[in-house]
Amino acid sequence: MTDMTDMTDTTGAGAAAVAAYDDDDTGNRVLGAAARNVLSYLARQIVDEPDAVVVQADEDPNRKRVDLRLHVAPKDMGIVIGRRGRTAQAIRTVVRAAGASEGVEATVDIVD
Amino acid sequence: MEWVETTGRTLEEAQDAALDQLGVDELDAEFEILEEPRLGLFGRVRTEARVRARVRPNRPPVKDERRGRRRRPATAEPASPAVSTPPAPRTAERTSAEHPRMGHAPSRDRQGGRMENDVPLAQQAEAATEFLAGLVGAIAGVGRVEVHEIDEHTVEVAVVGDGLGLLIGPSGATLAAVQDLTRTAVQRRTGGRNGRIMVDVGGYREKRRSALERFTREIASQVLETGQRKVLEPMQAADRKVVHDTVNSIDGVATASEGEEPRRRVVIQPV
Repeated sequence: MTDMTDMTDTTGAGAAAVAAYDDDDTGNRVLGAAARNVLSYLARQIVDEPDAVVVQADEDPNRKRVDLRLHVAPKDMGIVIGRRGRTAQAIRTVVRAAGASEGVEATVDIVD
Repeated sequence: MEWVETTGRTLEEAQDAALDQLGVDELDAEFEILEEPRLGLFGRVRTEARVRARVRPNRPPVKDERRGRRRRPATAEPASPAVSTPPAPRTAERTSAEHPRMGHAPSRDRQGGRMENDVPLAQQAEAATEFLAGLVGAIAGVGRVEVHEIDEHTVEVAVVGDGLGLLIGPSGATLAAVQDLTRTAVQRRTGGRNGRIMVDVGGYREKRRSALERFTREIASQVLETGQRKVLEPMQAADRKVVHDTVNSIDGVATASEGEEPRRRVVIQPV
């Protein structure tokens, strides 16, 4: 639980609020936890079927990079993409900021 | 709300010009096409497109309702959620049947063409506050969300606190994305999009506005001195409005806009 020391950093990892992905099964810190949580949160807030939202991740710990894949219900695809891809772009921008807050480069793919 | 009237070689150009004058993006504007462009021989423009546009009003002004809305205090009560508060569960009224508009372009809507799904501004502000509180909690960890009533059609939902720079981003790009997502979330939660929700983080908008005004005055005086036009970097609609307004208050210079969103830019030129 050394994670909580992050709280002293004002730009910190937001450790308090990132519950779902904070630790893996063995209690280790998950790379890009804030980015994952933010992506999951954003998606669940805007879709009609929040339960269908799934976030998968490819991690590259050496390069401090995490590539996220967002799955939503087929009928929610239009919502998360938005007119001319505007919502998708906004999601990428905010998730990238969340990744930056924990020193991780985060990308988002929206997949069928 | 005031209408502006603009012309262009195409409808899109005329609409873009109108959006610049209003300082909003197309989602917040409504248009009336006054004249379709007509082409003469060899594709030359014979008649320019003419549109009028205004900031989309919250709802038709019904006096009783308006009075009711004003009763809401200008700022959120102390109970406004701390950012660590989990978002409230969605309400039952939020069904997919209430969101039929996704994907159809609002830009051709006629005046008064969409009065469906009126949702009180206060309720929209509440949804926005919850959404932002959850988001800020996940990213920044600290921060408070306040609601400020701008006018009867507009509320600003402001995240206040320290160390919020990541939520603002370069030239406010992340803030713009946060605002987009907030509006989308509010629309999905409440089932209607009528009023305007503006999002601010750490007082950024006001700082940006005054910095932009200073910058614009400086460029305008250079243009006046040299007689050479200057092309500014691409900006968001709200920023461009600040530039237009500032330049319009100075004699001897005028503005125009060039390029397509999101790379639309203002040009300051001598008159």
